[in-house]
Amino acid sequence: MMQTALHPTPRPASVLREQLRALGLALRAPAAAAAVLAAAMALLITLGIVEEGHRIDFYPELSMLPAIAGFLLPLAVWWGEDRFGPGFLWTLPVDRRRHALTRVCAGWMWLMAGVLCFVLWLLALALLTGGNLVGDQTVRVLPAAMTNVPMALDPAALRTVRWTPDPLLWLVPFTGATGTYLLASALALGVRHPLRWVTGVVLGFFLALGAIEGTKSLGLLKGATRVLNAVFSGPYGIDALLTARTESLHTVATLTSGQTVEVWHALPHTGQWAAATLLWAAAGLAALWAAASRHGERRRG
Amino acid sequence: MSGMIHADAADGGWAVATHGLVKRYGRETALDGVDLRVPEGAVYVLVGANGAGKSTTLKVLMNLERPDGGSATVLGLDTGADGARVRAQTGYVPERHDVGYRWMTCARLIRHVAAYYPSWDSAYAERMVRAFGLPPGRRVGGLSKGEARRLQLVLALAHRPPLLLLDEPTDGLDPVIRNRALSLLAEHLADSPATVVVSTHHVHEMESLADHVGVLDGGRLVAQMPRDELQRTVRRYRVQVPEGWQAPPELRAAGAVRQRAGREVQWTLVGEEGELTQRLSTAGAQVREVTPLTLEAAALAFLPDEGSR
Repeated sequence: MMQTALHPTPRPASVLREQLRALGLALRAPAAAAAVLAAAMALLITLGIVEEGHRIDFYPELSMLPAIAGFLLPLAVWWGEDRFGPGFLWTLPVDRRRHALTRVCAGWMWLMAGVLCFVLWLLALALLTGGNLVGDQTVRVLPAAMTNVPMALDPAALRTVRWTPDPLLWLVPFTGATGTYLLASALALGVRHPLRWVTGVVLGFFLALGAIEGTKSLGLLKGATRVLNAVFSGPYGIDALLTARTESLHTVATLTSGQTVEVWHALPHTGQWAAATLLWAAAGLAALWAAASRHGERRRG
Repeated sequence: MSGMIHADAADGGWAVATHGLVKRYGRETALDGVDLRVPEGAVYVLVGANGAGKSTTLKVLMNLERPDGGSATVLGLDTGADGARVRAQTGYVPERHDVGYRWMTCARLIRHVAAYYPSWDSAYAERMVRAFGLPPGRRVGGLSKGEARRLQLVLALAHRPPLLLLDEPTDGLDPVIRNRALSLLAEHLADSPATVVVSTHHVHEMESLADHVGVLDGGRLVAQMPRDELQRTVRRYRVQVPEGWQAPPELRAAGAVRQRAGREVQWTLVGEEGELTQRLSTAGAQVREVTPLTLEAAALAFLPDEGSR
C-alpha cells in the first residue's frame, strides 16, 4: 500500500469560477472591440435622429448578431489551446471531458452576458429615439393556400393584422446565440481544423448544388430544395432557431397597383420556435458531448 | 550490452509502475513494452538518447498521451481511469518551454494554476518566484526560454506534490540559475518528501540526488536499477590480452570494448567485479585495473553507441 496521502482534486465550482475569470481576461480584447463598434453605431444613430428624425424600434427576435457572435466565440474560447496534443489545459487535475465542458460552459456564460448587454443596448436605443418598445406592428398576411407570391398581387387577397410579438420572443437572441455556440463549440472541440471543415462543408454544399443542377433532374432538384428549405427556413429550421422565423416568413410583393409592400406568409409561432430551439439545442449538446468525449481520459478515437 | 531490469516486487511498493507500456506514432514505436518501477521516495533518473521515449513515458504517466498497449499506475492510481487524480498528485515540467497562456502575466498564470490545487502553497510559490528572479508582471509570451523553465518549475513545485515528473528540468537555464534550481529542488525534497522521475541528458547534474536509474534505448527499457548497484556492477576493466585474442561470447554479451590499443583493451562490463575478473582470467586476459564509473558514464554504458566509444 502507498504511504503517501493523496491530494484532492479541485471542486467543480472552483474550476468553473477560474475558467470564468481566465476567459473573461482572454475575451477583453474582442469585448472592447465590440464596445467601440456599439458606441460608434450609437453615435451614427444619434446623428441620424438629430438630422432626419430616425426612430429605432425594438425587435429582439430580428437581430442575427448574437447568433453570429455565438458561432464565432468558440474560436476565441479555444484560441491557442493545443486541444489534440499535450495542451496546458489537459495537464491540470480535472477530468479532461469535464474540463472541456466546463470551459464551454464558462464561454456560454460570457456569451449570455454579452447578449444581455446587446439587448439592453438595443432597448436603450429604442428608448432614446422614441421607438416602439413592444415591437407591435400592422402586417399584411397572405392567404394560407398561397405558397408562391404572384408577380402582381391583388391587395384584396391580403389580410391586415395587428401583431404583437409574444414576450417569450425576447429570449430569441439568447437561445439563437446558445444554439450556434453549442454547434460551433462541438466543431472547435471535435475536429483538429474547424475552419477547414467549415470551408469544406460550404464548398461541398455549393459543389453538390451545382452538380444537382447539372443533372437537370427536376425530381432531384425539388428534393434538394425541400431539404434545404427544411434545414434553413422550415418550421424547425435554422431560421426558426435564430429569428423565430421572422426572416423567412415575410417577403416583398408587388401589388396590382404597382406598389411594393412587405407581406407575411404567416405570423411567427412561439410553439414552433420553442420546439426548434429544443431540437437544435439537443443536437448541439449531443454533438458537444461527442466532441468532448474525444478528449476523455480514455481514448475514444 | 545486455540489459538489467529490476522489476520483480509487487505493485504495492512502487510510486510509479508501468506494465508493458506500448506507444506508437504511426509506424514509429516510441515505447516498446516498458516496465518502469519507481520506488516511493526515489529520485529516478531516466536516461536515453533523443527519441528514446523518455518524454513519451512522462506524458503517458500524466495521461497526456494514451498508450496503445499496457498500463501505468501512479501512487496506486491507474493513469487512464484516474487521470485527474493522478495529475493532482503530480508536479510536471514538460519538455516544451511554452507554458500556459501567452497573454497571461506570470502572476496571473500562477493564480490560475493555484486555483486547481487545493494544496497550493502561495507563500512558497512567492518565495520561489523571488529566488528565480521571475518578473511577475511580464506576459508569459515574452519570457525567455530560461524564464519559462523557471516558471514551469514554480508551477510544478508550489502545490508540494507527492510525485514530480521533470522532463529536462534544467534545459535552457544558465549555470547560475541551474545551480539555484537544483539546490531548490534538493531543499524542496528535504521539506516535502516526494518521488521524482527526471528525464535528462545531463545525468551529472542529478549526481547528488539520484538514487535510481533507468535507461531507455529505442523505446525499450534496457536497464533499471538502484544507483549503488549500477555503480557497483558497471565498471571499466583495463586488461592485457594475448596476440590474436578473441573474447568469449559471454564476455562480449556483458559489455562493450571502449578502447583497444595493441594488446591492451579497455572494457566496460556489467556484472560483479570478482566474477568478471575470474572470467577474464579464465579466458586468458590479465586484468590490470578496474575503475568505477561516474553515474552518467555507468548509465550511458547501456546505450550501444556510448558503450563502444
